[in-house]
Amino acid sequence: MISVLFFGPVAEHVGASRIEVDFVPGVRVADVRAQLEARYPDAFALVSLAAVDGEHVRDPGALLADHCEVVFMSKFSGG
Amino acid sequence: MKDAVRIANEDISHDEEVRALRATSQRIGGIATFLGCARDFSEGRQVTQISFDAYAPMALSEMNTLRSEAIVRFALIDARIVHRLGVVGAGEAIVFIATGAEHRAPALEACRWIIDELKERVPIWKKETTPQGDSWVTPHP
Repeated sequence: MISVLFFGPVAEHVGASRIEVDFVPGVRVADVRAQLEARYPDAFALVSLAAVDGEHVRDPGALLADHCEVVFMSKFSGG
Repeated sequence: MKDAVRIANEDISHDEEVRALRATSQRIGGIATFLGCARDFSEGRQVTQISFDAYAPMALSEMNTLRSEAIVRFALIDARIVHRLGVVGAGEAIVFIATGAEHRAPALEACRWIIDELKERVPIWKKETTPQGDSWVTPHP
C-alpha cells in the first residue's frame, strides 16, 4: 500500500488529506500521479512538486517502495 | 531553551529568540532579524486572518537544512528560524528569522537568503480569510 498525502489547496480540491493506493512492484511516481490525476483533475492542475518519504522528488520515473509516503504539492506560500 | 528551528502554534517572541541567539556566543558582532507579519489587506481585499497548512515533518527538515546551509554559506555563528502554523490574526507574526555573525554584512545577507529560500523550499501553504470568502495564496516574488 502507498499513502498519498495532500495539503493546502490540493487537499481542498481532492476533498481529503490522505488516500491509499495499491502498491504494484515497479510502480513509479508518474504512475501514481497519472492514476490520481484522472480522478482529481482540478487538484492535479495545481500540482507542481512531489515528495517521497519527506524528500523532494525531481524524477517522475523514480521507483516507489511498498508502504512509502507520497505527497503531491502545489507551489508553497509560507513565510 | 527552545529549538533553534521550530514550527510553532503560538505567537513568536522576538526578544526571546534574539536572547537565545546572543547566548550562543560572545563572538557575535551583528544580528539581523526578519519578522514576517500577516497583512490585513491583500490583492485589494481586507484580510481578517490567515490559516497555515504544512507537511510538517518535511517543513521542519527543510528549515533545519536551510539553517545548516546558511551557517556554512555565510559563515554564521548561529541562526534561528520559527514559522507559525494554524490560524494567525491580521498583524500577528508568521515567521521569524535571526542570524548572528561576526560582522553585519553576512548576518544581513543570510537573513534575506533564508526567507527567500524558505518561500521556495518549505512545504507550507497559507489561506487568507476575507469578507468575500477564503482563498489559498498563489506564490509571487
